[in-house]
Amino acid sequence: MRKQFRYVAAAFGLTASLALAGCAAAAPEVSDSIVIDTAFTLETADPGRNYVPTGYMVSKALYETLLDFAGSDESTPVAGLATFTQNDDATVFTFTLNEGRVFSDGSAVTADDVVFSLNRVAGMTESKANFLMNGITVTKVDDMTVELSTETPSLKLPALMTNPSLAILNSKLVVENGGTTDDSDAAEEFLNSNSAGSGPYVLDRVSFESQVVLTENENYNGDEEIDFTRVVIRNVSEAATQKINLEGNDSQIAVDLSGDQVAGLSDGINVFSTPSAQTIFLLINQDSEVGGVTANADFANAVRYALDYPGLLELAGAGSAQATGVIPPSFLGALADGVEQDLDVSAASLAASGYDGESITLEYPNDYPVGGVSFTPLAERIQSQLADAGITIELAPAPFTTQIDSYVTGAEAFSIWFWGPDYADSANFLPFVAGQKVGLRAGWTAEQDSDVVNLAAAAENATNFEERETAFSNFAEAMQQRGPFVPLIVPGSNIATAEYISGVAYNSTWTMDIAELQAK
Amino acid sequence: MGKPARATRKYPPRSPLVGYLLRRLGTSVLLLFGVTVVTFALANLVPGDPIAAALGEGAASNPATVEAYIQERGLDQPLPVQYANYIGGLFQGDMGISLRTAQPVASDLAKAVPATVEIALLAIVVSLGVGVALGSLAAYRRGKISDQLVRVLSLIGLSIPTFWMALVSFNFFFLQLRIAPGAGRLSPILPPPPPVTGFFTVDSLLAGQWVTFTDALAHLMLPVFVLSLFTIGLLTRFVRTSVLEVLDADYVRAGRAKGLSGPRLFFGYVLRGASLPILTIVGLAFGVLLSGTVLVEAVFAWPGLGSYAYNSATSLDLPGVMGVGLVVGVVYLTINFAVDLLYGVLDPRVRLA
Repeated sequence: MRKQFRYVAAAFGLTASLALAGCAAAAPEVSDSIVIDTAFTLETADPGRNYVPTGYMVSKALYETLLDFAGSDESTPVAGLATFTQNDDATVFTFTLNEGRVFSDGSAVTADDVVFSLNRVAGMTESKANFLMNGITVTKVDDMTVELSTETPSLKLPALMTNPSLAILNSKLVVENGGTTDDSDAAEEFLNSNSAGSGPYVLDRVSFESQVVLTENENYNGDEEIDFTRVVIRNVSEAATQKINLEGNDSQIAVDLSGDQVAGLSDGINVFSTPSAQTIFLLINQDSEVGGVTANADFANAVRYALDYPGLLELAGAGSAQATGVIPPSFLGALADGVEQDLDVSAASLAASGYDGESITLEYPNDYPVGGVSFTPLAERIQSQLADAGITIELAPAPFTTQIDSYVTGAEAFSIWFWGPDYADSANFLPFVAGQKVGLRAGWTAEQDSDVVNLAAAAENATNFEERETAFSNFAEAMQQRGPFVPLIVPGSNIATAEYISGVAYNSTWTMDIAELQAK
Repeated sequence: MGKPARATRKYPPRSPLVGYLLRRLGTSVLLLFGVTVVTFALANLVPGDPIAAALGEGAASNPATVEAYIQERGLDQPLPVQYANYIGGLFQGDMGISLRTAQPVASDLAKAVPATVEIALLAIVVSLGVGVALGSLAAYRRGKISDQLVRVLSLIGLSIPTFWMALVSFNFFFLQLRIAPGAGRLSPILPPPPPVTGFFTVDSLLAGQWVTFTDALAHLMLPVFVLSLFTIGLLTRFVRTSVLEVLDADYVRAGRAKGLSGPRLFFGYVLRGASLPILTIVGLAFGVLLSGTVLVEAVFAWPGLGSYAYNSATSLDLPGVMGVGLVVGVVYLTINFAVDLLYGVLDPRVRLA
């Protein structure tokens, strides 16, 4: 019998030693490399087809755009590959390319490349980024000058030109590999394994499910001075794993940590926390057939003043802020202060609304945290706070993919949703107005509030910066006073890095500019 | 002259095994067809708009993009036509284009499946080795302290939540003890080996990349350890029960009476007699390992089938969901088929029947 045990023990020992032998292999370290962990949203390395955050981060490192933003300041575009001027009507924008700039193969960046790149996005109707070029005409003036024109005033155009989807590609190289300016474009396969830009990095390899590797562009002659010659962007979907990888020095940057997670980080980790550009809000439907008792401006006001916003903010963690309106803090026209709880105003509005204690269903997606904010605890706290104000709420969570349909079709009476910009400009928030996309989801038609519609039109058609800022502020103020939306929280963006890394600056489109990362 | 006798062709009698195999193959094809019908129907019954989910707010507001997207994927066709197109594509190895990754589903799965099979295979080997060893030990030492200990340990293995165990073990072995590598299939500085099988360990060996091999093996260990805990617990309990039943069997007593002992008695009589129920559990456990690695893959950033399935489901990627359903269906059918064949190898009574 003893002999049998020895065999059993030997088998067990062999298995264990195999495991330990494997575990003992140590990963080598390379100091001029940097590893960034993020939950991938990556479909393509073709900038003209990309429309998702990780893709933007990659494109930003490989390509350059006509204009750029300096650090985290997204209020005013600055020069990128070009400088620009505009006419008084804000309908013609003239871009002059910087002299001497070259692509990664050493060829010069010219106006032909700009015209091709922008027209390519405009021509590829299947590209998710196609809408960015809607209504914009591109004309070559000379080898270094391009004119972009629109039918109506478009002060959002400079901000659009910072979007990495509108990056400038090496037209000769792309055309040689199937690139066109219409739906027959076949350059995606080439661009998924090669880059054709003038950015500080070139594409080494891509695996859309696991990692992207970038290496230094030897021919780069722009302003960035990169410290890391090799960048690995890894798909790590679990934020807890990102945290452990960072603390264990397996990675140097973790992009998706929640406010709670950054609070528990060990020493030797830097955290860059800032409000993101997402806004979590309550939707209160104004269509009586959908909303019933909620279809009432007084009811919306009762909810608006019943909530204890600092109490809600406790759920959001580091970097987050109270939403001061439908325009988040970093954008033109954002309000300085949010609504404060006032139970007297709430009670008076509730009485005026005709609400009689009936239970109202609050719908929300329960599997889609935004900036680390889970909607279930948020909904529970809203339920509790509204109960204190005399409003009875019944919670109705559902998965995002099933819930979104009723939100988009305007079939929800009372729900929690979120909104983020497609590009860095306040024009992204005009769809909240009555009669526009998000307004209609709340059953709010243009006829119900023509004043706020006019305010939005004034913001849309402004022709100079000052006029535009005032118009957007007026729009935001009106929305805050009588819109069917109650902005709640702007979740934080928390980018954690190893102690020796600096230069992190959050951007609402490309998250961060990898080229700006520096070793202290 | 009488009519010549009609020549009767004599076919060699068909082996019962061949007939059995053909029947099983036919059944498997029918079942796979059923799998495609069910996954297609379920995927299309889920409420929600996959186009809006795939395009996002901005692009979904652009009628030109929506139209091009629908046309390109044939989403404007009636459902039966879409299904027929899907089945037609399958015969050509085309499983459609993922709405989420915008890549061919077959190409996505060709990368994800080997990643999961690599950990599942190693996990089942480890589970089998440890489970048989511990289960047999417990059976031989029935009622003694070692038996009690093994039973408690197996119960713990069965009870620990996999996600929690994955996080704790990653934290402990990687962050605290520093004896395990970080997440992923390879260290970030190493390029993947040239793809042949999709198993990084095998491909790196084939390419003669020893450093990559040891790194890939090291990265396998923690996911395998975590995945194995449940199956070790399961197998240990089954092996113990099966071995206990066999230990009292007449033929084992007869073997002992004839002077057999040690490995000859254990492997030739005890384990062989106990192997049928163990084999059933191994087959089921392997299927579970292949299709149920979502949480472990999430923690260890393992780009496998579980992650792909989860991401496809949460983003309403219907071609992705159907592709995963088909692969999991094929895996289960193949495993069941292999287990049935092994029954015949291990037990002559099954073969004769």
